[in-house]
Amino acid sequence: MSVSSGAAHGRRPPVTRPRTGRTPPRAVAAAGVVLVVLTFLVICPLLVADPDRADFAGLLAGPSAGHPLGTDQLGRDLLARLVHGGRLTIGLSLFAVLVTGAAGVSVGMAAAATGAFGRVVMRFVDVLAAIPVVLFGLVAAVALGPGAASLLVAVTAIAWTPFARQAYLLTLAERDREYVTAAVSLGAGPVRVLAGHVGRNVLPPLAAHACVRFASTLLTVSGLSFLGLGVQPPTAEWGAMVAEGREYLFTAPHVVLVPSVAVVLTAGTALWCGRRWERAGAR
Amino acid sequence: MTALLLRRLLVVPPVLLAASVLVFALPRMVGVDPARAVLRARTAEAVPDPATEARVRAELGLDAPAVEQYLRWLGALLRGDLGHGYVSQNPVAAEVGSAAAVSGLLTVLALALAAVLGVPAGAYAARRPGGRLDRFLGAGTIAGVAVPEFVLAPCLVLVFAVGLGVLPAVGWGDPAHLVLPVLVLAAYPAALAAQLVRAETAGVLARPHVLLARAKGLGEHAVLWRHGARLATTSVTALAGMFVSGLLGGAVVVEVVFGIPGLGRTLHRAVEAQDLPVVQAGTLLVVAVAVLAGVLVEVLATALDPVQRGAERAR
Repeated sequence: MSVSSGAAHGRRPPVTRPRTGRTPPRAVAAAGVVLVVLTFLVICPLLVADPDRADFAGLLAGPSAGHPLGTDQLGRDLLARLVHGGRLTIGLSLFAVLVTGAAGVSVGMAAAATGAFGRVVMRFVDVLAAIPVVLFGLVAAVALGPGAASLLVAVTAIAWTPFARQAYLLTLAERDREYVTAAVSLGAGPVRVLAGHVGRNVLPPLAAHACVRFASTLLTVSGLSFLGLGVQPPTAEWGAMVAEGREYLFTAPHVVLVPSVAVVLTAGTALWCGRRWERAGAR
Repeated sequence: MTALLLRRLLVVPPVLLAASVLVFALPRMVGVDPARAVLRARTAEAVPDPATEARVRAELGLDAPAVEQYLRWLGALLRGDLGHGYVSQNPVAAEVGSAAAVSGLLTVLALALAAVLGVPAGAYAARRPGGRLDRFLGAGTIAGVAVPEFVLAPCLVLVFAVGLGVLPAVGWGDPAHLVLPVLVLAAYPAALAAQLVRAETAGVLARPHVLLARAKGLGEHAVLWRHGARLATTSVTALAGMFVSGLLGGAVVVEVVFGIPGLGRTLHRAVEAQDLPVVQAGTLLVVAVAVLAGVLVEVLATALDPVQRGAERAR
């Protein structure tokens, strides 16, 4: 492979990769990590104990054979809560990213294809993008009452705007390239050109963007739950778990530590994948 | 440039109008009853007395049709009268105003710190893409984004307030109270600024005109700043604009954790008490700042960028 021949020459061989190129092995590895995490979250909830069962004999206990990550202030198994909470946190974030991604990319690409009208639309998108998501979390919590539903509204209502802006810029850059002219002159309609030809070229960078959006959505979901504006106790959710354990920060730091580490690791991995993917595409 | 500014400002009124309708209608549409909220706040009764409820309803003008209520609220708003909070019963303008001043101070300090940390870090990392500093910064920016405020804030409290005992953990009023919140707030914008400056500067430094500058004997410092990082000015400005509203009204976690009487905590409390006038005024204020900051930053970016400036002049 190119890697071994490169090592023989002592530097990277001057191979010109196709611009939209193949996905490099490291990105595949990163995607593998994500896949493992997801399987973990789907399968493990079936294996671990009930996340809501209280064991009053061992409150705030450290790791033991029965409770590998210890227990919280009600004696609930932290591993079980971590896994169940993760399913909720990651599931909500993933769903929100898929929805906002589909909506945002459609708006952005359509706006880039329609000229002056699209520019006006994007003007409003720019304005919406400046509104903090937490604000929507607050308003949604008043309107719907705090819970998973208000959380979902908060992380979808305006979170599609970054996707729209990114898709708009990428589509604009592709719009005047030769292959588009070729497709148009061969009689392809606007939808076919956008979805089939341009879409192929703008989707890889957008996928990298989606990783970054996933990380920030995850942080918003857990942040709002931390504030009591999202998932309500006793339901396990990473941010809510941090909030519940905060009182015992000095006596039993593991209660806060477990969900905190989970949030940081998941968000960090997603960001890392996104960056890898982005650099692979830019090369 | 004035023409551009005016043209961009055209977007502001319709957006604010739409936002005002939303913040007014949304809670009412799904069954938040302001009169009930007031009664719940002022009396401890679980089931409110119907006569009292009717009196409160009339007192607050809640018995009028919704459209009339909205127009009356909007009219008062335009005259600068935000009414009184249902729960605190203080003038909303004073409550939201003083909270916004606190958050504004935090915002300015956090943005300044983020720029001071992020911009040079990004520029120096760009000198050698893939080098040690670059890789270190790459990991640092991921950490800066991935570590949420609700994790970073307790960590800093544990180290500086509990462990070393050099800074106060919570409170407001003393300059020492500013240090930890500003540090937490600056982490995310600093990471993004560093990432942005690094990417843009690295791109510029690889271009031929930089090679020429080096060939004619320009010092490394001048090459980096005058030719390289300078081109990142517009995007850093845009980034700052994005963060103004996010920090002003979105610093809820930090303000709650550190007990700071800012806009975020005020809104958070108002939401918990269903104090609609405060929620409406605070939300609209943040939206207005967000929209105006967006417009100003865009115009500023055009003014700073010679290419765009020329294009604007040619219009």
